[in-house]
Amino acid sequence: MNKLKRVVLIAFLIFVGVQLTLSNDALAFTDRGLSKGTKGDDVIELQARLQYVGFFDGKIDGVFGYQTYWALREFQEKYGMPVDGVAGSKTKKKLTSVSSYDKKFVMDNISKGREFTHYGGKPLSSQVKGGSTTPKKNTQMPPKYSEDDLKLLANAVYGESRGEPYEGQVAVAAVILNRIEHPDFPNTVGGVIFQPGAFTAVSDGQIWLTPNERAKEAVIDAMNGWDPSENAIYYFNPVTATSKWIWSRPQIKKIGLHIFCN
Amino acid sequence: MKKLLFLTVFAVFSLAVYTYSVSMQNKDLQNALSVQYAKNISDASSKLQELDIAVKKTLLFNQGEGDLQARENIWRLSSDIQQSVASLPLDQGFSTTWMNYLGRLGKFAKEGDERTEPAEFHKVMDRASENIENLSDQWSLATADMASGNLSMKDWQERLDSEKASFDWKGLSASIQQYTESDFPLTASESDALKKKQLKNIKDAPVTKEEALKKFKKLFPDVSKQVIDTTDSKPGASYPFYHIRFADQDSVGYIDITKKGGHILSFLTERPAGSGTMEMEQVRNKVELFLKDSGYTDVIFEEVRENDTAFHFVYTRLEPLHKAKVLSDTIQVKAAKQDGRILGLNAAEYIRKEKLEDQKMVRIDWETYFHKEVQISEQELVYVENMHGTQRLAYALTVTLNENGQVGTYVVLVDTETKEVIRTERQQ
Repeated sequence: MNKLKRVVLIAFLIFVGVQLTLSNDALAFTDRGLSKGTKGDDVIELQARLQYVGFFDGKIDGVFGYQTYWALREFQEKYGMPVDGVAGSKTKKKLTSVSSYDKKFVMDNISKGREFTHYGGKPLSSQVKGGSTTPKKNTQMPPKYSEDDLKLLANAVYGESRGEPYEGQVAVAAVILNRIEHPDFPNTVGGVIFQPGAFTAVSDGQIWLTPNERAKEAVIDAMNGWDPSENAIYYFNPVTATSKWIWSRPQIKKIGLHIFCN
Repeated sequence: MKKLLFLTVFAVFSLAVYTYSVSMQNKDLQNALSVQYAKNISDASSKLQELDIAVKKTLLFNQGEGDLQARENIWRLSSDIQQSVASLPLDQGFSTTWMNYLGRLGKFAKEGDERTEPAEFHKVMDRASENIENLSDQWSLATADMASGNLSMKDWQERLDSEKASFDWKGLSASIQQYTESDFPLTASESDALKKKQLKNIKDAPVTKEEALKKFKKLFPDVSKQVIDTTDSKPGASYPFYHIRFADQDSVGYIDITKKGGHILSFLTERPAGSGTMEMEQVRNKVELFLKDSGYTDVIFEEVRENDTAFHFVYTRLEPLHKAKVLSDTIQVKAAKQDGRILGLNAAEYIRKEKLEDQKMVRIDWETYFHKEVQISEQELVYVENMHGTQRLAYALTVTLNENGQVGTYVVLVDTETKEVIRTERQQ
């Protein structure tokens, strides 16, 4: 009999523990307001909760884009709150009170790159689709660029200029982007980077080295408009350059070991 | 002794087999690459002939529907040949001038009748026809051996090397350059765009190096104490500027300031990322205060993007007459998530300032303009560049559409006078 009591007590404690964990998760929103353009774990929670109550049908990815914006406005309208598409403290409190959030389920699936949903009213285990994909990093870029562009550009920047100052790395990324806009070059990131003979890192295979975070940040800055090369479409290292033609190009400035030119 | 001899013979034999196998593999790879290049050359050659015929076909008609197909073919073929040229190891000078010519030919053919007098269009195409015929001959001559597989990659590379070149690539590039200038001189809007790019519109007096430094120190007092050096732009720059590099405590970066008027082109600093995230609204307030203090008082918040260590803010200039956003005149600010410090400022587009003209605004019935399932969420006025490079006043409509159960969001820019859709952008 005592053994039975002990088993019941342990089961009760486990149940209370689980409930406490869940209720802690329910309060997991950070203090900051969330609006279009933000990203992070609190946006993941916002999306998951909005989906739980049926307002958000998009992918839970932690990026506050238009899908999240419309869903949040709809939620605010439905619950008689000021409709501004910003998740402030009142909106988050209301959302928390009417929804549930299984953080472990959501985070596990995101980290494993699985396709899943988080709707309320049906078992979560039935909301995971089979197979897995590479988890995508939720980097925010101007709409004309894709995650693949970022990856390829970061590879090129790292392969071409990893020993250069940060400014020089942004400039290399900017040269590639300038070429895309220029009538003398192909109009895609891949087309420009893989144009035969255009970049040494492609010829010697260094483009396939794994880029570091610094190279990625340099690419993001260039995508956002920074161009330390001041509109250059070529650059070369005067110590190693073999082409005589490149010396005929009008030079703009020197950054690190590279001369940037028109 | 016998064993040693056996081992030596065995090692030499193995090495010989290995070397032979690697050399065969290399040869196979080179053959595969040669075949690929030969195919691209052959594609480009046949499309060049098609292009020649398409250009000649436009000469059969007066302007109108008659040559529409031919003009579309010119645009398509020139784009195809551009792709082939871009994928070939060619002389760099030749490749760039050739790409430029093809691009301009395709654009001219596509937009020709909207921009050009019929007689002028005919005259240009007549000249282009003759030039393409010449180019086609030159191209065949230059690539004959490669296209027929008689040239190894090594020989081809030698042919490209200006020292050993058996073909006058430089001469061919010069011819194409000449054709481009004669057939497709810069249009008025292209010439305006070039002037704007070269900051010709800035009429301010030049500033000295010291004045530029003073400006830098005033705007960025926390990073400007340790200036490494200040250099002048090189003579090939489209506009003269000062390049100032600095390294202050944990920050390393640069600022470029124009010599004419001392305007900031761009500023960027790198520093170790700290932990913690400030409220985005707080960072935005700091950024806007900085912009105001720096004299950028005619800009309005456009959008923000949060990344791992920084926020990227975009601001747009507001035109006073219609309160329209000028989409080409933007300022980007990069601010640290940790403490809102300004890490970067990019005002290169802003200082170029577009030339704007007032424009008629007609009423448009959006209910009949869009499909019945499209919902309009927001509407504002903007100035935007159209396909001819002219700034036009446009209605910017944020619209949504149900796409298989999800909400698709688009920004549609419609000319306020002609009702023409200038641009449609899908939003993320």
